[in-house]
Amino acid sequence: MDPKQEAIKELLIKMADDQLIIGHRHSEWIGLGPILEEDIALASIAQDKVGQSYTLFQLLHDQFGTADPDTMGFLRAENEYRCCHLVEYPNGEYDFSLIRHFLFDHAEYHRFDMLQGSTFEPIRGIARKFKSEIKYHILHADVWVRRLGTGTEESHQRMQAALETAFPLALGIFEPSPYEQVLIEENIFPGEDALRQRWLETIQPILEEASLQMPDPSSVEPAYGGRRGYHTEHLAPLLEEMSWTLRYDPEAERW
Amino acid sequence: MYGGGYIPGSASPQETPKEDPEKLAEFEEKINRGEKIEPHDWMPYEYRRQLIRMIEQHAHSEIIGALPEGTWITRAPGFKRKLALMAKVQDEVGHAQLLYSAAETLGKSREQMINDLLSGKSKYSNVFNYPAKTWADAAIIAWLVDAGAIINQTTNSKGSYGPYCRALERICWEESFHLRYGYDTVVALATGTKKQRQMVQDALNRWWRPIMHFFGPPDKISVHTEKLVRWKVKLATNDEMRQQFLNMYVPKIRELELEIPDPILHKDPETGKWVYSDPDWDEFFRVINGNGPCNKERLAVRKKAEMMGQWVRRALHNPRQQYVTPLA
Amino acid sequence: MSDFIQSLDPRIVRLQVREDQPFEPKEAGDQWETYEVFHQAKTGARLIHVGSLHAPSPDLALVFAKEQYGRRSTTTDMWVVRTADIFTLHRQDIDIFETAQEKLHREPQGYMEVRKYIEEFKKRQQQEGTSDGSEAGSH
Repeated sequence: MDPKQEAIKELLIKMADDQLIIGHRHSEWIGLGPILEEDIALASIAQDKVGQSYTLFQLLHDQFGTADPDTMGFLRAENEYRCCHLVEYPNGEYDFSLIRHFLFDHAEYHRFDMLQGSTFEPIRGIARKFKSEIKYHILHADVWVRRLGTGTEESHQRMQAALETAFPLALGIFEPSPYEQVLIEENIFPGEDALRQRWLETIQPILEEASLQMPDPSSVEPAYGGRRGYHTEHLAPLLEEMSWTLRYDPEAERW
Repeated sequence: MYGGGYIPGSASPQETPKEDPEKLAEFEEKINRGEKIEPHDWMPYEYRRQLIRMIEQHAHSEIIGALPEGTWITRAPGFKRKLALMAKVQDEVGHAQLLYSAAETLGKSREQMINDLLSGKSKYSNVFNYPAKTWADAAIIAWLVDAGAIINQTTNSKGSYGPYCRALERICWEESFHLRYGYDTVVALATGTKKQRQMVQDALNRWWRPIMHFFGPPDKISVHTEKLVRWKVKLATNDEMRQQFLNMYVPKIRELELEIPDPILHKDPETGKWVYSDPDWDEFFRVINGNGPCNKERLAVRKKAEMMGQWVRRALHNPRQQYVTPLA
Repeated sequence: MSDFIQSLDPRIVRLQVREDQPFEPKEAGDQWETYEVFHQAKTGARLIHVGSLHAPSPDLALVFAKEQYGRRSTTTDMWVVRTADIFTLHRQDIDIFETAQEKLHREPQGYMEVRKYIEEFKKRQQQEGTSDGSEAGSH
């Protein structure tokens, strides 16, 4: 495959993996959230994420002949996944779940915004559709981060601590791919560095409003590795659980 | 979704204040004419009490019901099933939200209702005290328990209390998705490999008895006050609903060549009624009184979820806020 | 480890729940305030009251309303308002909407006889013309 095709494929796979794994993590809250109304809101976000992943795997299948979405999403070996470490971490409490959702979704919003102008035509319409879903996700995340950051002493401390844990992981979203140069030159995607810049400019003022102190990105070691198939110890058990039923009877054609 | 099924409680009127006969007559006439009662209308004490009990237990059943099915959210096989199960369990949480709101209009706050659920004072549908052991259990719940719930809820949606009817109208509409999804999932297993068929047969064996219990004890041993029927709080008897369920679903189950674990189950050609084995009503009462396989887990998990969310709710609490019961 | 409930749900296992999980009964206000939700299904349609929800502030009320009352239908607009800010009548005064007399003077049905009067008028005019005879020839 020529490097351009390889570059697009790699980009789509990491996006699809990120969406699936974070959607899976959000779905663990369904029925257990802090109040009914919020339970419903996060359950929708979880569905959007998994649904977006499904669409991307479908696109990969149609354009690049990868295996069907279920095989790709559920049944690959752990080191074939390209998700970042941020999405792999267990939910912990609502503080970490929300901060992760906030950091992740602002990056996603800009990513799909950039992809709307991609020379890879099939992603453009998809990106536009995803963006309106993610717009709600960031609205949801922003309201919560602002309110909890300025709520009680306890909520402020929890959110600050969660931010400090999640921030280096979030920088791992922007781990450069081996194809950065191709993506940029071919105007497929402006690259992880450009994305990271836009992301920092967006989240900083919101965190300030929330009275939260963003760690200095230059003094933080980003959690890299995920984009090359090196994952945290949390991913393997997650995948084992996620594929449990499918693997129960590999002969089955339909579930 | 879950329609509560049958939940025993003190259905017998306790000390009720003497009602103004003129207002009572007016109230009953209104119900007779097919009009609905709205939250701030005059209503007899006993009507309010029974409705709160019924709607509240229905709401509890939804939120507790999210647990057995939620068991399979992280292990659902493939994208479509994963998405559908998330949407379904989300709907159950949404139904709890709608039903608690309907009960609130009668004057009991959501805080009080949740406290009563977690202290064990208030019950929920017994069917959710059983475990969902495999993916097929989740499928059987989505098909047959929801089918039972639809029968129950469609019946109740013709009741006399406006807010409850409106909530049920939307709930029934969403249930129709659940039922289709559940049926499709069971059909996939029943028409699949040997292993899949075995999985769904085992699940049916486990769930048949709780499903027979779902509509409550036979009419001959359960008490219904004639008043609740007149007030359109209770609209069909337990046996009527159970017969309706068997009529609709036994043929569908048999079409899939699944075996219903009741050797004497048949329709009596003379009476047109289904005859079935005694589903052991002693067990039913044992479970409802707290001794089922999952009672302790269900309540402990709800307590944990509430406690985990406490700091979040507190952080957003506005000391100047004033609680007003929702309007409709 | 054995102290925790061994649930069939891996999510619950991870939550580490004890059978005797402590619980502090909820105090008033734990579930915040209530808001009423109004929904418009298509442009040009009226906004219709669709239900209520619990929220601590208007911004979150809208975030919640979007999913609880908009996730399964087309939505072109949505409003939320604190229940406490809605004014209505006492139920015992609701009979002020019952009107004692006919109010035909403000109903279209009160004005259904114009055709009759016009026809009668025409007939009369025609009869007058015939008896007079002066312009009969010109028709």
